[in-house]
Amino acid sequence: MTIPLMRFFVTLISFLILGTMAASAQSSEDIVLTGAPALRFLEHGKAASHDFYWFNFVDASVIRLKELRDQAKPDELVTWAVYRPGYVARSHELEMDLLPQIEAKAKQLGANLFWFDTKEELINYLNKGRDRDKIKITSFDYFGHSNKACFLFDYSNTIDTMSIAFLHVRDLKKIDSDDFSKHAICKSWGCHSGEMYSQWWKSHFDIPMIGAIGKTDFSHGGEPVLSNSDGKWTQ
Amino acid sequence: MNRRVIIFGFLLGVGFFTSSQLSAQTEPAQAETTYTAPAGAAAPVAPPVRKGSPLDHLTNDPKLATPTVGYKEGNVGTPDYWIAHRFIDDMGGCAWGWVKKKGDDWDSAKWVALRENPGVAVAPYRKLISHDADNNWEYKFWGSFAPYKAYDPHLDEMVPVFILEGYEVIGPKDPLNIQAGPPDRVRHRPSGASSRSSRPILTDPGVD
Repeated sequence: MTIPLMRFFVTLISFLILGTMAASAQSSEDIVLTGAPALRFLEHGKAASHDFYWFNFVDASVIRLKELRDQAKPDELVTWAVYRPGYVARSHELEMDLLPQIEAKAKQLGANLFWFDTKEELINYLNKGRDRDKIKITSFDYFGHSNKACFLFDYSNTIDTMSIAFLHVRDLKKIDSDDFSKHAICKSWGCHSGEMYSQWWKSHFDIPMIGAIGKTDFSHGGEPVLSNSDGKWTQ
Repeated sequence: MNRRVIIFGFLLGVGFFTSSQLSAQTEPAQAETTYTAPAGAAAPVAPPVRKGSPLDHLTNDPKLATPTVGYKEGNVGTPDYWIAHRFIDDMGGCAWGWVKKKGDDWDSAKWVALRENPGVAVAPYRKLISHDADNNWEYKFWGSFAPYKAYDPHLDEMVPVFILEGYEVIGPKDPLNIQAGPPDRVRHRPSGASSRSSRPILTDPGVD
């Protein structure tokens, strides 16, 4: 082997090694987004009364967070975004502070807990909470109330059967599509997301989001399941 | 010649191996499309409802067929009250009805969602056997409009919010000759965004 050829070979290998190192310096983030339960006062007496159990969305989120934590690479961030006012209100109704319990669960899981009070705070976190040039969102899961057009972080928690905090499909344009890895795995575990939200998500981010056709049931305390006989997951 | 072929092949192999490693590092593991729910444990039992709490009153107080004329609840008595007309939305929306300033015409009334204040004043229908038993009843309302609107997921529309501080029952009235819903309600087609109906999907949900 001639010396120039050896130099070329060493240089090429060096570039490959440096490239590999640079690629491994790029981290990633898994995000679990959790909405709040309704107040029992506002749901009392309804035929379809929601959220008897205050941690239905939290418990489901914890199961997913554990899965993500177990699969995560050492430099991978696992973030849990939780809508705080809804849990404050339910705490007040229960006369039991739920926030420290959520914080303890996050700590136990090794997840970064991000409390948000408004949709704008959430969007700001997604866009600017991390250096999105380097840290892309590689998985996204939503647990909470929803209809086909909205993630309802607040539902029947402030006003009976209504919402004052939500992420509508029209809000998706406020989230930078570059926040996500092109291979990101996204899923809404809420009701009806597959009937509209998934299409808008795909249209805006160019990545699929699995969503339900029909309703999902969180009432058993574990991961939600499809509750309509003709329900299915789609994307 | 043979040596060059071997070196080229070696470099190609190194490149291929390295790029596969890179690809494996940057692509996330494929998640299952369905998750197997673990054996579900029973949800914790809620603590007993405290005697005298709003939920206790709601659950255990006797219910009425219709409101009691003259009944007052919450912070009332100041002269700056509103007039409120309860109306059940025949399109399935969950707003409460109309509210206008006293002395104003009903044309100026706003279609509102009611933010109740448990422990102070809650919707009058909470005392009734049926939540729609006060349809077309009127009240004096004390309170104010919130700086935000509420989203009605049944109709995919935004509704002004009235924060209730107190009320007095006026009595039953004739139906108003105004259309229910916010001024921008989509009337020519169903919303489609409801989580609790089978309406067709909208191409434009109409919410900002």
